[in-house]
This record gives sequence, C-alpha cells and structure tokens, in this order.
Amino acid sequence: MDDGIILRTEGLGKTYGNGPEKTVALDNVNLRVMRGKLLAVYGPSGSGKTTLLFLLGGLDRPSSGRIYFDGVEVTSMDERGLSKLRRSAIGFVFQNYNLVEELTVLENVMLTMMFEGKSDKEMRNRAEQLLHKVGIAGKERRRPSQLSAGEQQRVATARALANGPRLVLMDEPTGNLDQENSQELMQLVNDMIRGEGATCVVATHNLDIVHEAPSKIFLKSGRIVSG
Amino acid sequence: MRTVLTVLGLAALILTYVGVQSLVSTLEINVTGSVSSLGGEIDVWSKGAVFPLLSRLPESYASQVKSISGVSLATPVALVQLTVDNNYALVAGVVPAQFPHLLNYTMTSGTMISSNQSGILAIGKALAATIGKGAGDSAQLNGQDYRISGVYETNTWMDYSLVIPHTVAQQLIGWVNQTSMIVVVTQDPRNVNTIIGQIRTLLPTVDAFRTSEAPSRISPIFASLEAIATDITIIVSLSAVLGIMNSNLNNLRERMRTFAIFKATGASYGQIIKLVFYESFLIGVLGTLLGLALSYVILSFVSIPLIETINVKIILVPSIFIYASILGISISMAAAIYPALKIAKVRPQEVFRFG
Repeated sequence: MDDGIILRTEGLGKTYGNGPEKTVALDNVNLRVMRGKLLAVYGPSGSGKTTLLFLLGGLDRPSSGRIYFDGVEVTSMDERGLSKLRRSAIGFVFQNYNLVEELTVLENVMLTMMFEGKSDKEMRNRAEQLLHKVGIAGKERRRPSQLSAGEQQRVATARALANGPRLVLMDEPTGNLDQENSQELMQLVNDMIRGEGATCVVATHNLDIVHEAPSKIFLKSGRIVSG
Repeated sequence: MRTVLTVLGLAALILTYVGVQSLVSTLEINVTGSVSSLGGEIDVWSKGAVFPLLSRLPESYASQVKSISGVSLATPVALVQLTVDNNYALVAGVVPAQFPHLLNYTMTSGTMISSNQSGILAIGKALAATIGKGAGDSAQLNGQDYRISGVYETNTWMDYSLVIPHTVAQQLIGWVNQTSMIVVVTQDPRNVNTIIGQIRTLLPTVDAFRTSEAPSRISPIFASLEAIATDITIIVSLSAVLGIMNSNLNNLRERMRTFAIFKATGASYGQIIKLVFYESFLIGVLGTLLGLALSYVILSFVSIPLIETINVKIILVPSIFIYASILGISISMAAAIYPALKIAKVRPQEVFRFG
C-alpha cells in the first residue's frame, strides 16, 4: 500500500562509545518523508544532521530504532542488501563532494552505474546527459581538482542521480558555495526532483533552503525539536 | 611509485626463479647428456667419481677388462675440456681403431680419425657449425693447429665435442698411461651384469656399471641442486608475497578514501575484492612479463662454468618460463588476498568522518 511515505523512522538512535565516553548523536528520532518532496534538516553543528543522513542512506547502522524505506525495513538488511540499496535506490551528495581524484569527471558520474552493472554505452550516455543537465558539459575529461567547488558539487549531484534513485540525500550541499552558486544548485536540485521524480533530504545550515523546503525538521543535540 | 616498485619486485622474483631453474636444467642437460653419449654397454670409472671428467684410472685396466671372458671390446677413453677456436668443448681421446665399434656415427663429410697421428681431429656436427669449420679446414685445439679429418653425427651430446687419438689426448692432459674411463662392449648383452661383477672383483678400485645408468650416478647431485633451487624459490616467493602484501596494504591504505567512496556509492564487499584482485592481476601480468623479458635477455648472454674451465651457455627451457608465469601471477594474487579482504571491510562513514 502506497501511503505517500517513502521514508520513515521509528525511535531512531545512534550513540558512539561506551560508559562515560558515550556520546548520543541521535535520540528517538521519528520522521516521515513524503514521496517526491524536499525535506530540510537543519540545526547547529553537532546536532546529528550528518549522522541522520548516514543512517538514512544505509552507510551506518543505528544503535536503536528502525528505518523503513518504501515499506522495507532497512535496519535489518545485511551488507549486501545495503550496498544494493545505496547503488540503486539512494543517491548521496557528500559535504565535501567525495569525488575520486584518480578518475575523470565522466568516470566519477559513471561509477555508481558501473557497480550496478550497466553497459559502457549506457553509462556513458547517461553520464554525459546528466553532466549536460548540471552544466558541466565539455569538462568530462577533467579531474575533479581541475574544477571549482561549485562545479565539483554539480558533478557530485550528477553522480548521486546517475542510477535514477528514489531518494537523494544531500549533506550541506551549499556549505562550500557562494550565494549565487548555492541558488543555482538548489534550483538544479528542485529541477532534478521534478524531472527525476526523486525525494530529497537536505541537511543544511542554509536558511534559504530551509524556508523554501515544503517540510523541515530542526535537530538539536540529536533530537527533533520542531518539524 | 609503489606500484612500479611492486612490478619491479615481481620481475626480480621471476628473474631469480628462471635463473636458478635454468642453471640447474642447463647443468643437468649438459652433464647427463655428456655421460650417456659415449657408447658401449659398460662404463668403468674410478671409484667414487660422479662424473667421467673427474675419473682417472690406469690405461692398463683396459687390457685386464678385455681379458674377462665375454668381453668383446674394452677401450680407454680420455676426456678433457679444451678450447677449439676459442670455444670450450669436450674432447674425447679414443683409440682410433676401436672407435667405430664403440659408437654409432655417420660422417657428414670427410673421414673419421684412423691413426694415432697427432694434429688431426674429427669434429661433431654441432661443434663444427658453432666454429664454422668443416672437413679439411684447420682448427686451433688448445692453441695448436689441427686439421679436421671429418665431421661426424651421432645425434647425441657427442655432436658438441670432438675426437682425437687417445695418445694425443694423454699428451695434452699430461697423463702417462692414465685414462678417464674404460668403455666395454660384451659379446652377449645378456651377460652384462655378470661381467660387471667380474670387473668389480678383478679391479676393486674401480666402479663398473651399465652405460645407461651413468646419468643416475650423477642424479643425486642434481637432486640436491633441485632441492636447493626449490628452497630458494620457496624462500624468495614467501619474501615476495610478504613484500608485495605489505606494499599492497600501504597502497590501499593511501587510497582508503577512494574505496570508501566506492562503497558509499554502492560497491559491494565482493565488488571491492574483485577490483583489488583485478588490479593485482594486472600488476602480476606486468611484473611477470617484465621478469620474463629480463630473464630471456640476461640469460641469453650468460655462460656458466660447468667443471673447471668448461663454460656452457644457459639453456632456456620453455617450461621454466611457463612455470615462472604461473608463479608470478599466483604470488601477485596471493599477496592481494589479505589487503583485499581488509579494504573491502572499510566503513565509509568512519573514513569520511575521521579520514
């Protein structure tokens, strides 16, 4: 049954360390993300935004609680299942882009498709199409270090969208960008959401993004304070 | 840089393996070939000698052996290594009148030596081709001019040697009434064992055995050499595995972030392992090809001293190159197992958070 909810968490918690060294990164987080919408997660540094995104993206395992993606419990998946989920259903745009310096821009975008087992022609066509969409056409052969921060962010966004994910997670996507680039990127994200039909969760400090987002949650000390 | 060093390390391993194995093979082929190609049915060497060049016994023993009932021929053969036109060759000093009864040969040109006359020799076909001489030409034997009476062919190691009269060989070596060995032909091959027993009884200071057993007399030496070669291969291979594994680990650690990105973008545990193995396979192929090429080039120019002044060129055996290829790629893959398993367990969130 499709109730319009693509992502749901129940009592999600994450702690690091034990005993007196124990740090609570997330505590009893319950959220629902509607399909095809943008959710902004905001809050001060250290509030647990990145931890939440890593848990939602299957990059880390929670200490407590459950995550459901399209009705399927993610928290009970094994490593193989999580890998499959990350490459086929979820796109991740990291705070510092995490592009592979040894690969060209084109190869970076093709990466997730390679792990999905797509043909070279299919990968190349899709990567070129995405790079054209994000305004990086003509720079396919360059290395990431030869691009500006804004361009790298666009390449990372193209990579996240390569396999047509149902969910795109973006960690501080505008953190290293000036205002003009930030606005362009978010316009791109909105276009992508509409064009690709993806749902997007953005962890951000950028209040412009927060204001424009149809739904938002405010995190403080690992807890949802509002939203 | 680390990858280049790994490739060079593998190439060095291949060179070591091919070098050691080729050395042993060359020795085995030459020595075994030389002792089993002198004809006859029974060899008589001095006791304890493991190679006819190291054997020395009185020439008079030949007549004593000949006096044994059932022996049709007992002829002395003096073996010596001499230079022929600046090439080292095994020279057999034989009694010319008895030589045709000793060995099956055909003359490709000229005639076999037929008297004890000095200054005349018959040369094997392969050696003649090596020095570029034929019947009627002159050749320098140990610095002295000899006329080549003819070129013979036996299809044995003798084709790489030459024949001179026994008396001339004795003079060249400086032996008086001594010879290297006695080659015996029996009247009835069924009595070979009996005659061997009689020779051992008659001459306690010699060792008599079937000619066909000559290679096996030196086989313990080669068994030891092969064991040493195997030990060297094992030690070098283990060192290579550990060295390359260490290099791989450090190399992969430096690229931890790259593999974390791979995992974060959907690469599975198995895909990471496959990537590392694929990379190691390529490095293994590169190192192996470089090692094989180096081995071929270097060993083609290397000669080894067989005994005293005998130098023979290294024989490049194809099977050694095949085994070397298998060894090189296997070592490269073996050295990738632990690093691959380790890197495949990388936790992206930890790498991204803590570097």
